[in-house]
Amino acid sequence: MNVIEIKNLTKIYNSSEVQVKAVNGISIDFKEGEFTAVVGPSGSGKTTFLNMLGGLDRPTSGDVIIGGVNIWQLSSRKLIDFRKNNIGFVFQSYNLIPVLTAGENVEFIMQLQGKPRKERDIRTKELLEAVGIGERIKARPSKLSGGQQQRVAVARALASKPEFILADEPTANLDSTSTTSLLELMSQMNKKYNTTFIFATHDQRVMDKARRIVTIEDGKILSDEYFDRD
Amino acid sequence: MFKYFKIAWRNLWRNSRRTIITSSSVFFGVFFACFMTSMQRGSFENMIGNMARFYSGYIQIQHPDHKETPSLNNSLLLSTELEEAISKNNDITHYQKRLETFALASNGEKSFPAIIFGINPQKEDKKSSLSSKVEKGKYLENNENALMIGKVLAKNLNINIGDSLILFGQGYHGVSAVNLYRVGAILDMPVPELNKSLIYMNLPDCQEYCSVNGQITSVVLMVKNTNKIKSVEASLKPFENENTKIYTWDELMPEILNLIEGKESSSAMVKSLLFMIIGFGVWATIIMLMHERKRELAVMIAIGFQKTALIFMMLIESFLIGILGILGGLGVSYGILYYLYKNPITVVGEMAETYRSMGFEPKIMFSISPEIFYNPAITVFVIFLLVSLYQIFFVAKLKVSTSIKS
Repeated sequence: MNVIEIKNLTKIYNSSEVQVKAVNGISIDFKEGEFTAVVGPSGSGKTTFLNMLGGLDRPTSGDVIIGGVNIWQLSSRKLIDFRKNNIGFVFQSYNLIPVLTAGENVEFIMQLQGKPRKERDIRTKELLEAVGIGERIKARPSKLSGGQQQRVAVARALASKPEFILADEPTANLDSTSTTSLLELMSQMNKKYNTTFIFATHDQRVMDKARRIVTIEDGKILSDEYFDRD
Repeated sequence: MFKYFKIAWRNLWRNSRRTIITSSSVFFGVFFACFMTSMQRGSFENMIGNMARFYSGYIQIQHPDHKETPSLNNSLLLSTELEEAISKNNDITHYQKRLETFALASNGEKSFPAIIFGINPQKEDKKSSLSSKVEKGKYLENNENALMIGKVLAKNLNINIGDSLILFGQGYHGVSAVNLYRVGAILDMPVPELNKSLIYMNLPDCQEYCSVNGQITSVVLMVKNTNKIKSVEASLKPFENENTKIYTWDELMPEILNLIEGKESSSAMVKSLLFMIIGFGVWATIIMLMHERKRELAVMIAIGFQKTALIFMMLIESFLIGILGILGGLGVSYGILYYLYKNPITVVGEMAETYRSMGFEPKIMFSISPEIFYNPAITVFVIFLLVSLYQIFFVAKLKVSTSIKS
């Protein structure tokens, strides 16, 4: 079943003299439970592609249809609500809210969704234990290592029970041990919750874990390959 | 709501030094504005109070022409209906019929101009505690044929208790007014101008001296507090006619009102400058704060925080900075000003002389009128409202995808 359908997606940046086509008419689908890496050299358009997919950057033309909803036809308010309920984000620089504890960071999105206190507490604990830092629930991000912060970010992304998770270079700031362990964790979460993961990455270790690799160059899909990792 | 407040409160203490410095600037702004206004207002209230008690009253009833031409020919007879309305009005604490005239006071070869008030000594004492101003001699009794004079006038005339003083003047319709009176008391008035020229005598004696037949030049009214002046004036307005007009103190002493307005506008300029500096300081802090958190704000929007909610949260944060400063400033200034209101500072030495020469009692008085405190608070609140427009604009224009990478 398709979670995301992308039709002829284009993004053109107008600089002072030239037009740059960062994404050039991409059409692609993503199915439920996929673990996909979008790869390509710097400037190939993978981050722009992911931003449009996540409702963060408006395309020049084309459609992004998630669960039957063409997200770029929604008002800004409805789009924010849509992201809250359907899309999880993991960023390169973790981007946790620094004044909230690990637990509060995970719980926060559920609070925005209006989930009851008891449900939030149970799910926060469950997710933090699942990502292996249940004992640091009360720690502020500044007291956590980069790897631990990224684990909290994964737990936060999963907290809202999204249709899919977008991760832009999630391992770029991590050492090798943290990278391996984070990838293992995301792979487990993918299997456990059947959540679709889409990464933008340069990292070979991420590519080695991905079951689907989409290569983008000059804003176009160069290749789209599936791998059996089991 | 609580979650916004929680994040805003914690954000406030992320950079505690900055929060303390910004709140302190608000604190000092509010404190100095309150202090400055209280001192100025206190002096003015004292001056007006003294002038009202010892001279004009807060409201006066006169013949319509007496203000422009203060002659005995422009005197009035108080109607029974108006006197009844005055005595029935609960906001009027005292009223006093008065005959006011000018004369030359003479002792031996020395003569000085004097202003004479024919009064009811008992009523005057109730109104202004005049008996407490007696420096020498005995306070005048009703029907006692004697004078009370200001101490500077007494000194200038080289006259003392029990001495006789000749008054030369003009009576009703141009008749000569001359008589000899015994000095019963010498007064030390808080308004230095009055000390130089003031003479009190019993109203019937004064009426006889001026050859008037029961007329008076004014009825002086004191009210419960200055806020009641307008309502009392309004209640008496229906009694105005071709012989009777109601005036408030500011109509009778426009020079004092001008002085107050002049001083208040210059102090308003100083305060505006003070609040402008604070405003720019607060704005600089808010700009810094917003730019520092650009990425964080973008992430919050990305994960599902509505921009309106984010603006609300940021406003809570900046208003908390303001509220800390405002409450601190108001609390400290009220404490200090209340003490100074109860214990005015007495000025001594040359400074005291300067005060006296300007017609002020040599005391630094303070006021604790509510507007002294709520005006700076409202001003700071408005500053924060204006600064918050920047926050609203910033969040509304925030581009999520680029800000996350910033």
